[in-house]
Amino acid sequence: MSESSSAWDVIVLGGGAAGLVAAFHARQAGASVLVVNKGLVGRSGATITSGGGVSIAGQSLRALGLEADASDTEERFLQDTIVAGSWLNDQQLVESMVTGVGEEVGRLVDWGIKFTINRRAPGHSSGRGIHVSGVDMQRALTRIAVQAGVSFREDFQSTQLLRRGAEVVGVLGLDRRTGAVDSLYGHSTVIATGGATSNWSLRTAPEELSGEGQRMAVEAGATLIDMEMTQFLPCCLAAPAIWRGLQFPWILGPQSGVHAWLMNRFGERFMARWDPTRMELATRDMVSAACATEVYEGRGSPNGGVYLSWKHLPNDIIDHFPSMSRNISADWQWEGFDMTPLVERIKQGYAIEVAPAAHFSLGGVRVDRGTHTGVPGLFACGEATGAMHGANRLSGNAGAQVLVQGRVAGLAAAHDARQRRARDRLADNHGAAFSATVAPFEKRDGIAPFELKEQLSQLAETSLGPVRTAESIAQAQTALADLKNSALPQLACRTRDLMWNRDWSDALECQAAFTVLESALLGAAGREHSIGAHQRHDHKATYSGPLTHSLIRFDAGKLVRHTTPVAFPFLARP
Amino acid sequence: MLMHLTLFRDGELRPLDIQLPPPAGLGLGIDSWEGASVSTALQYAQRVFEPNLGYSLSCRRGLCKLCAMRIDGEVKLACTVPLHDGIRIEPAKPKLALHDTVVELSLVREKPKRIKPGRTLEQTAQPQ
Repeated sequence: MSESSSAWDVIVLGGGAAGLVAAFHARQAGASVLVVNKGLVGRSGATITSGGGVSIAGQSLRALGLEADASDTEERFLQDTIVAGSWLNDQQLVESMVTGVGEEVGRLVDWGIKFTINRRAPGHSSGRGIHVSGVDMQRALTRIAVQAGVSFREDFQSTQLLRRGAEVVGVLGLDRRTGAVDSLYGHSTVIATGGATSNWSLRTAPEELSGEGQRMAVEAGATLIDMEMTQFLPCCLAAPAIWRGLQFPWILGPQSGVHAWLMNRFGERFMARWDPTRMELATRDMVSAACATEVYEGRGSPNGGVYLSWKHLPNDIIDHFPSMSRNISADWQWEGFDMTPLVERIKQGYAIEVAPAAHFSLGGVRVDRGTHTGVPGLFACGEATGAMHGANRLSGNAGAQVLVQGRVAGLAAAHDARQRRARDRLADNHGAAFSATVAPFEKRDGIAPFELKEQLSQLAETSLGPVRTAESIAQAQTALADLKNSALPQLACRTRDLMWNRDWSDALECQAAFTVLESALLGAAGREHSIGAHQRHDHKATYSGPLTHSLIRFDAGKLVRHTTPVAFPFLARP
Repeated sequence: MLMHLTLFRDGELRPLDIQLPPPAGLGLGIDSWEGASVSTALQYAQRVFEPNLGYSLSCRRGLCKLCAMRIDGEVKLACTVPLHDGIRIEPAKPKLALHDTVVELSLVREKPKRIKPGRTLEQTAQPQ
């Protein structure tokens, strides 16, 4: 529990694709780089679970000498992304992504990463992009970062940014292996900690995406943007527990263009009321909103979902599916599971109960196209940031985002470190940061952190699902404020073990959850219209009024919401 | 539902049997333990019976391989294996055991002496 006297040039928080790409480029630029990861690098984070590949315009692929749709331009890619995002995107970020991803895919080729070129891409106007599995992408990027001479600190749960005045000078956190609370000093710090969807109960994302990065950034003076926007993936399994959150029905159905039918408890194909043309093949935000609305209005299935049915299709179509799929084996092995029992049930004519699961944080740390957060010494990239995707993200666009923003952040941080390294770097908030991190461990009697975690995820489900109301948001705000006063200070660890003390880690995740949920509720309360992932049941009408971003800042110890108009520098809103 | 755990603690392997109560009404959303994974059971056991029980879990879908354990004698991913009565759960490899069921699976870990900052820009060789 000591302070180190020497400093890294660049500290990258997070070892998924965004973090490793940032680390690689910072290292290439000559910086000493430490990647700090909450779990094990290459065995944690959302990149591994991604199946979307990387969106890239056909034009950009052809420039790399690859065969692709020549009529697919960067302009079309930009337009698809912004239209899908309901015009809520920060167009500067989108433009940076669509024009920058070509060079990054070229680098994947140079790195020897194997991929295939898409023929169709859900939601895109062209069969745009390349496919590489998340597992392969993570493995390759881990190797490349190691070869570049990046250093790693694993099982380190970052909790507080260290600051000197307004500048970020490093990070403090818990070494989960040893129980040590350590300070790591760096001239520049990159937040690449991913999204915050593990605060929801039904989710596709891995365990560790609890939002520490978003919390640390806003407390250090950065701004969070559009935190009310969480993308839900429709048609995920809610039961049995071992399959909870799996997106297999979505893949066997609409995502692959297979015309499975969504029905409510009356057998009605409710998508007709939302998009009579595309029906189940509508964008993910709309399908999620439609499914959640059926449940909210009392037409759901017994377990709080809706039905997805293949019964009108001949079994041949199901039987032939694995041969068209890159992810499902001939004997229905998918990810780590044997899906045969589910497929047999489908072929017997039963529908599958499905529900939208929290999938991707569309909101996050506000950055410009240079990945600056506005806080000296602090950069952010990847899913931890907000506003790239607006109110809905297209498939493959997260892959493009992490490559482009990762590189920009790595180079910017390395450059910034050069300017900053002569400066005095001792933190002036070390004492407070340390106290906040050890507080739950030092408390012996009180509330077990998992109990609060459960309460918070239930609160997220009821107030921040795909369908929201003023009433549910207000109730959740009151409940959250009560818990912040009554439960958060009472969190205690039931064991004195220092190694892998899960109570302690859970308590620290709860600290992050409060910031994530409070910011999302502030944004959701203020956005009194339905748009993309944010569907207000009490404001259902199509909205064509002025669009603003929700901005959350930490002001005199409180999270405060502001707004700023959405700008349209590249594509005018019709 | 009885689980026979073998845990690595303080340098040795120790047995610990945990009898899980019927899951209905526990807030897990399941009626029988057979529909839940070993990971879910370990998570529940840590919360209710054994606060210092160490286990790893990340993706919950058999991709990240972080939750590898020896289950009924074979190394498997705990998040993908359904529970059954009398299941035996041990560290994947005793030699790699760190704490309880957690084993060393790092792909990038350096020797501790190398993990220190201080390489300056000038001293740093360009990679490749």
